[in-house]
Amino acid sequence: MKAVKNSAAGTLESSDVLVSVIPAGGSAVSLSVDSIVMKQYGRRIRSVAEEMIGTSGLSGASVMIQDRGALECTLRARLETAIERSAAEK
Amino acid sequence: MEERVLVTKRDMAERAELLRSRGLAEPGGEDLVLGFFSDGKLVATGALVGNILQGIAVDREIEGEGAAAAVTSSLVKRAVERGMRRIFIYSKPQEAGRFQELGFTLLASASVESSGFAASLLEWGSEGISAWKRDAAVIAEDKPSMAGSVVVNCNPFTLGHRRLIEYASGACRWLYVLVVQEDRSLFPFDVRFRLVSEGTADLSNVTVVPGGPYVISSATFPTYFTRIRAGGDTEKITGLYAALDLEMFRKHVAPTLRIGSRFVGTEPFCPVTSVYNEMMKRILPAPGEDRHAVSVVEMPRFREEGVPVSASRVRDLIRERKMKDVEKLVPEVTWKWLNSEDAVPVLEKIRKSNSRH
Repeated sequence: MKAVKNSAAGTLESSDVLVSVIPAGGSAVSLSVDSIVMKQYGRRIRSVAEEMIGTSGLSGASVMIQDRGALECTLRARLETAIERSAAEK
Repeated sequence: MEERVLVTKRDMAERAELLRSRGLAEPGGEDLVLGFFSDGKLVATGALVGNILQGIAVDREIEGEGAAAAVTSSLVKRAVERGMRRIFIYSKPQEAGRFQELGFTLLASASVESSGFAASLLEWGSEGISAWKRDAAVIAEDKPSMAGSVVVNCNPFTLGHRRLIEYASGACRWLYVLVVQEDRSLFPFDVRFRLVSEGTADLSNVTVVPGGPYVISSATFPTYFTRIRAGGDTEKITGLYAALDLEMFRKHVAPTLRIGSRFVGTEPFCPVTSVYNEMMKRILPAPGEDRHAVSVVEMPRFREEGVPVSASRVRDLIRERKMKDVEKLVPEVTWKWLNSEDAVPVLEKIRKSNSRH
């Protein structure tokens, strides 16, 4: 599933997260994570994102996560939506 | 809150009023203006100007309830969906911290005493400037420190540029020529960059570098690329943007490339560049704590038959079809290119346009 267009899901509001997916050359996926709780949860956010990117089969994209203290279920929902939108045919 | 794009005159008037109540001016040149309504009343607004978020304001009554975050998110999302990768934001310096909390990185702040104008420039995410610095550090790795620098648009590359670069390269151990990368000039960036590179290849201590988004770009200096309207606050705003661009240079560009001096030609024609040069002499050499001071060397503009040579004069001559006169003002590489097939559409565009750049 190759990223074909820029997409974003979520917001920068408190307890939410903004996930952006931007198509990039090649097949690799790069991931950047910013969080207001980087120290406590940075690694967990990264591993959830890597897991979901892996399962979705996303390729050729740069994924940016800006977390404002979202719960894990929120993070997963935002990731799923952003990845799906980015790979959508239309 | 109900969100919608503002288009009608009535909406825009309400927005202007909200901006005014928070001490903000209308940015101008908006591509998209958003409004957030509560019970039919506009309570928050924000706009997209190219890849810059501007004019974000929230009604006093709902301040602190997260409306600014909602406006910012919506603008960022729309910018991303429009294909933008780098997104910038201008804010009042005292409010920069709020946007840093929203995941923006502070690039530079500037204030101009004479006008009382002040602003901070922030960038979305944290990758942009650090990635740029990593690349620039690789370029600077094997070069001497206290290097000289010139920043040029070269639209197109003239004998004036060549003289300035020649002089600067003789006056320092190493010279960086930073070419404005923004593709909003009549001559495309790849042509400008190639002509400068080829036209200075004989100077062994010169490295030509793309300016990237942090050296006179539409983010650091938007009014450089637009025609200045007469009257109003445009000159003050230009002064503020110039100050921001120079702060960026001193804070990020100069330390990374280990630049100790910047060379500049006197500006006889363009009012924007002339404001910029004046500001440069004040800002770059200013000493201070944790400040990287850069000395400024101003050099009289090279003259041909008593008239200063500038790229704008070359464009005027092209417009007037006085190609014989153009030949006297440009180096051979530029002249050759002007007579090539590739130049035909560019010359055509110059003759039709009235653009400042």
